[in-house]
Amino acid sequence: MRLSDTRPGTAFIVDKVLIGGEIGKRLADMGFTQGTTGHYIRGAFLRGPLQIRIRGYDLLIRRCEARLIEVKI
Amino acid sequence: MKKIISVALAGNPNAGKTSLFNALTGSHHKVGNYPGVTVEKLEGFVDHGNLRFKIVDLPGIYSLTAYSLDEVVARDFLIEEKPDIVVDVLDSTNLERNLYLCLQFQELGIPVVGALNMTDEAEEKGIKINETLLSESLGIPFVKTVGTSGKGIKDLLDKTAALVASKNSKAAEHAASTKSLKRQEPLQKVPQYGEEIESRLAPLTKLIESDRAFCDRYPPRWIAIKLLENDENAIKKMQDHAKGQEIITKAESDRAWITGHFGKESEIVITEQRYGYIRGAMHETLIQSTSGRASFTEYIDRLTMNHFLGLPLFFLIIYGIFKLTFALGEYPAALLEAFFGSLATLAQIVIPEGFFRSLVVDGIIGGVGGVFSFVPLIVILFLCISILEDTGYMSRAAFLTDKALHAFGLHGQSFMPLMLGFGCSVPAIMATRTLKSPRDRIATILAVPFMSCGAKLPVYVLLAGTFFPKNAYNIVMLMYLGGVVLSMFSTMLLKRTVLRGPSTAFVMELPPYRLPTWKGVFWHVWGKTWSYIKKAGSIILVASIVIWAITTFPQPRDEVEKTQVFAADFAVTMAEASQEERDLAVERALDEYRLEYSIAGKIGKIIEPAIRPLGFNWKLGVALVPSFSAKEIVVSTLGILYGSGSEENEESESLRQALQRDPGLNPLTALTFMVFILIMPPCLASLAAIRSEAGGKWMLFQVVYSMTLAWIVSFIVRLIALPFLGA
Repeated sequence: MRLSDTRPGTAFIVDKVLIGGEIGKRLADMGFTQGTTGHYIRGAFLRGPLQIRIRGYDLLIRRCEARLIEVKI
Repeated sequence: MKKIISVALAGNPNAGKTSLFNALTGSHHKVGNYPGVTVEKLEGFVDHGNLRFKIVDLPGIYSLTAYSLDEVVARDFLIEEKPDIVVDVLDSTNLERNLYLCLQFQELGIPVVGALNMTDEAEEKGIKINETLLSESLGIPFVKTVGTSGKGIKDLLDKTAALVASKNSKAAEHAASTKSLKRQEPLQKVPQYGEEIESRLAPLTKLIESDRAFCDRYPPRWIAIKLLENDENAIKKMQDHAKGQEIITKAESDRAWITGHFGKESEIVITEQRYGYIRGAMHETLIQSTSGRASFTEYIDRLTMNHFLGLPLFFLIIYGIFKLTFALGEYPAALLEAFFGSLATLAQIVIPEGFFRSLVVDGIIGGVGGVFSFVPLIVILFLCISILEDTGYMSRAAFLTDKALHAFGLHGQSFMPLMLGFGCSVPAIMATRTLKSPRDRIATILAVPFMSCGAKLPVYVLLAGTFFPKNAYNIVMLMYLGGVVLSMFSTMLLKRTVLRGPSTAFVMELPPYRLPTWKGVFWHVWGKTWSYIKKAGSIILVASIVIWAITTFPQPRDEVEKTQVFAADFAVTMAEASQEERDLAVERALDEYRLEYSIAGKIGKIIEPAIRPLGFNWKLGVALVPSFSAKEIVVSTLGILYGSGSEENEESESLRQALQRDPGLNPLTALTFMVFILIMPPCLASLAAIRSEAGGKWMLFQVVYSMTLAWIVSFIVRLIALPFLGA
């Protein structure tokens, strides 16, 4: 499943970043690599950005970027 | 003479780089810009033993790709300037991702010292780092530091000096031992990417090494890795290589092989290998005992990022800042105004009557003084903003507002500049620097002027108060709201036309809440205020003089005759009035005649046909001319035009009566004029800010675009309002 399909408050394991290029590279740079555990903490009002905890820090990504990350629960 | 060693201070954003820089250099630093870009460059010196470190503060970055302007600047600096040493500041509470950048410095072949900063915070969180083991496994000297208190600074300098010494001795050894073409062994080890990748890297690196001149400029292994990462910037650099085309072709086939082998893009594979290497090194050196208790940050975020309370709380904070700025700033602003007022009076006494006095009083003191009165407001506004920024609340604001702004093609980080736009466009445009993507930045910069700034308010107040006495407040509010709506739709339009392009990723760190330091806040506020003052002192000064000149020259030669004509006229039309009143009327008529005769008046007449469809007469045309330099000048120009002297403000009753007497003005025209003022090109200071932040091309675009838009929207507003207000 995609990261955008998970529910707030759940943990996930990154399986694959689905695209390369600028956006995929940035996501990988920020720590979304295969096998990494992360937590989806909360989402903003009206399907706004997601707060994700990964590699010991928090970051915000938009739903459209979360759709590019394949995860396992 | 001490030996000067150039040190690049680098690191992730939010790793405490600025406080460490201050701790290292004290107050001995100067602010500049990196060549060609508006990224600020801080430089400072610190002496240690017989060495003098020249420390350059690089912008905070996450990686050495060419993703943001900051990264490009940092990368170019490291490659082109080749500093002797990189001191990498790492956030100890978030070591894994911070090491990711550290390794990339190592790859560049520049010796790296790591400052494990914020050690105190890490220990509080239960993170224990064995820096000796970490140093051994990565081949980088690490030192524990606390930038805010200066702990570990001496140790950091010692380690840096030691690394310099070992680099020098290796270089000497190398020079003495070989005269062969064998390349110098790297000083530190480099990250390994696993067998498969290394088997591709080795031949590629060898091929790159074939051009020695090229390799003197760029480290071959680093270029090879960047080529495998499909880095456009590195591919472009290959044009300088003797075998450039061959290498690019080879790299392409290597990338295809990696993608086939691993089942994902090669740039992703390399990143994963790099993180894998870090994991391996960290495995034994870092112990984290998790308490399971929610952190302080988490408790606050439960409120500030709450689904329902987050946004109301955010608006409350913004409202509070504006209230504070204008309520508190009013007093010093009034003092400054009084100061410039008495300065003008003094000038009137000291300087004999004539052009020079008029230039000093009306031109220089009037123009520059008006802009300077905004300084207290700017100081308070930036004080609040830098506190919000340094505590980490700004990222929460981006979280809350991104969805709404993204719908129009803006960004969560656009919010703050847009808010600032209600105060003054100049600092608002400067505040867009936090936006990473140039397209988002330009979109935000172009949206800012539609936020009605403090200088447009007097114009609204005068016209709304005069022509809509019952609804003045609502009309002013309508102007503000209209500006916001227009900015959103304008951005949508621009994003679909001139600013079209793939949407950039919104990936933003959410740092924990931290207490801002006084020093940090001070430098922040001072920097912004100073650049505002500099603009006021240069561009506004010139503009004020120009406006003064075109409203003053040329002077009519027949003033004496005209005076007699006017006097004779008024003797008939104002027969019952006293002599004093008649003299005043003559004086007003003369002022108007002079203005009509001046360059500004001629321009007004020339542009009259263009603004006639909007219902503006030549007098409004004249008022528009100086409004390019500052919008509040419209009020005083109307004051001159409508014959009550330039000492007018928006509350003045005589000016209001004079405006109402003009048959060419009515509520419909007043409304259209306000809309025009709202949309037309911003003041010169703002245009200068746009030029320095986005470039001359975008400044010109802004002028043409907003002029066109102002005309079209005003025309439409006039058509719509016609049935309600009548002609």
